Amino acid sequence: MKKIRKFFKYDNVGLLFALPAFIYMLVFVGYPIVSNIILSLQNVTVKNLTHGERLFVFLDNYKELIQDDVFRKALWNTIEFTVVCLVFQFLIGFALALFLNKKFSFAKPVRGLLMIPWMIPMTVTALVFKLLFAGDIGIINYLLRSMGLIRENIDWLTSPQTAMSVVIAANVWIGIPFNTILISTGLTTIPQEVYESASIDGAGKVQTFFKITLPLMRSTIESVLVLGFIYTFKVYDLVYVLTQGGPVNSTHLLSTYSYKQSFELFNYSMGSAVANVLLVILLAVGSFYLKITMAEEER
Amino acid sequence: MSAELKKRNNVLLCILSVGVLCILLFPVFWTFITSLKTEQEIFQNPPTFYPHVLNTKSYAAQVETGDFNMFRSFLNSFIISLGAMVIAVLLAVPASYAIARYKFKGRNGMLLCFLVTQMLPVSVLLTPMFIMFKNMHLYNTWGASILSDATIGIPFSILILKNYFASIPKDLEEAAWVDGCNKFKTFIQILVPIAKPGIIVCAIFSFLYAWGDLAYGMTFILDQQKRPITAGIFNFMGQYGTRWSYLTAFAIVTIIPVSLIFIFMQKYIIAGMTSGAVKG
Repeated sequence: MKKIRKFFKYDNVGLLFALPAFIYMLVFVGYPIVSNIILSLQNVTVKNLTHGERLFVFLDNYKELIQDDVFRKALWNTIEFTVVCLVFQFLIGFALALFLNKKFSFAKPVRGLLMIPWMIPMTVTALVFKLLFAGDIGIINYLLRSMGLIRENIDWLTSPQTAMSVVIAANVWIGIPFNTILISTGLTTIPQEVYESASIDGAGKVQTFFKITLPLMRSTIESVLVLGFIYTFKVYDLVYVLTQGGPVNSTHLLSTYSYKQSFELFNYSMGSAVANVLLVILLAVGSFYLKITMAEEER
Repeated sequence: MSAELKKRNNVLLCILSVGVLCILLFPVFWTFITSLKTEQEIFQNPPTFYPHVLNTKSYAAQVETGDFNMFRSFLNSFIISLGAMVIAVLLAVPASYAIARYKFKGRNGMLLCFLVTQMLPVSVLLTPMFIMFKNMHLYNTWGASILSDATIGIPFSILILKNYFASIPKDLEEAAWVDGCNKFKTFIQILVPIAKPGIIVCAIFSFLYAWGDLAYGMTFILDQQKRPITAGIFNFMGQYGTRWSYLTAFAIVTIIPVSLIFIFMQKYIIAGMTSGAVKG
C-alpha cells in the first residue's frame, strides 16, 4: 500500500488521470486493430463470424488480393484520388489564404463562412454533389451547355470515365476550408518586418513569395500535406454514398472495397486484409507526421 | 498609400471576397433552393434560380409520412452525438491535463498512441467492432454508435486540450497546493474552469464528428427506427433516388444543427481548426 502511494506521489499521479481514456481507446481501438490483423489471416465469412471454427490461412488472403483486379484498381484509384485532391485543395487553399490574409473589412467573416463545407456531414455533401452533377437536371450540365462547352448532357455519375471527377470535386470542396485555415494561420506567424525589409531591398511580389513566404512556410506546408494525405487516403462515407464504388468499380477506393468485401459479400477476412493494406500505407506516410509532432513534444 | 486609395482597395477586396464566397457556397444555396421547389419545377428546363412556386410540402411530408420519419432519425442522431460527446469530454479532459502537466511513466508512448488513432481508417475497426458489439449485445442499439463515435472525439480532444492545459501558468496550481488542495481538487476546481473554452471546442468537435458519421451508424444499427439521420438519408437516396425535393429537404434538416453550432460557436470552431489536429 505504501509502495503504491509512493509511486503515485509525484509525476506518476498523471497516470491516474490518463488511464481511463487510455483504457477506453485500448478496448475500442487497440483491440480491434489486433483482432483485424488476426481476422485477415483467417477465413472468416458469414458462417463462422460469431461462432464456429476459424481456420488460419495465413497470407492466402493477401495473395488472393494481389491477383484481384478490383483490388488493384481500388489501390490505383485511391492513389489517384488522393494525389489529385491534394493538389487542387492545396493550391486553391493557398490562394484563398493569401487573399484572406490581406487586410479588409470582410476578411474575418468570409474566412468563417468558408468553414461551412467542412462542417457538413459527408453524407449530405454526397447528396449535394449528386444533385449538382445529375445527368438530367444537374446545374453543372446546364452551365456547361449554356457556355457552349458541351452539346449533350453528360451522365457524370453513371459513366466510368467521369464518375471519379465528381468524387474528386466533392472531396476538394470539403478539403478547401481545412487547407485555407491552416495555411492562413501559418501565414500570420511570419513577422511583418521580414516583408518590410524585403520591400526596402527592392524585392518584387513574386520574388518575395518564392524567396520568403514559401521557405518560411515549410513546416506548415509539410503538415498540411501530410495531414491532408492521411484524411484523403481513408475517405469512405463520401464515396460510398456518391457511387458505392461504381460504375464498374471505377470509383472503388480501398476503404469502399474493404466495406464491400466485409458487409456486402460477407468475406470478413478479405475485407480485413484490404483494410490492413490501407492501414500500412497510412502509417508509412503518417510516420512523418508522428516524427514531427513527437520531436516538438520532446523539446 | 493615401486614405482614399486604401478605402477603394478595401471595397474592391470586399466585393471580390463575396464573389468567392458565392461560388464556394453555391452547392449549399442550390440545395436549399431545390428543397423549396415543386418536383415539377425541379425538372424544368432551363432551371429556375429561385422557386417560382414556393413549396414547403417536402418538409411537412417528412413529419407526416409513416414509412420514413425524419424527426425520429434526427432524434437518434442527437442522442448518439450527445452520448459520444459526453464520453469524449469526460475521458479526454483529465487525460490531456495529465499529459500536459506530468511526466509520468509511459507518457510519450501514450501520446503516440493517441496520435496514431487519429490516423486510423474506419475500415480497420468496422469488422472487429461489429463482432465485439454483437458479443456485448450492443449490436443494433444506440450504445454501439455512441461507443464507437467517441473513439473519434477522444484523441482529437486530448491533442487540443493538452496544449490548452500546458498554456495555463503553473503558479496557479502550486498556490492551490500550498493552500492545501489536493491534486484532484485543484484540477476540478481551478484548472477545469480556466480550460473551459478549450473544453467547449472539444465538445463541439466531438459532437460534429458523431453527427457526421455514417459508417458506424449504418453498420452497427440495423433498424431504421434507431439509425442516425445520415444512415436515414443514405437509405432514402436508395429508395427515392430522384425525388429531389424530398432529398434536399432532408439534407437541409440534417445541417440545421451544424448551422446553429456554426452561428453561435464560430470562434470556437476556428480555434479548433487552427490548432491543426482536426480531421480534414
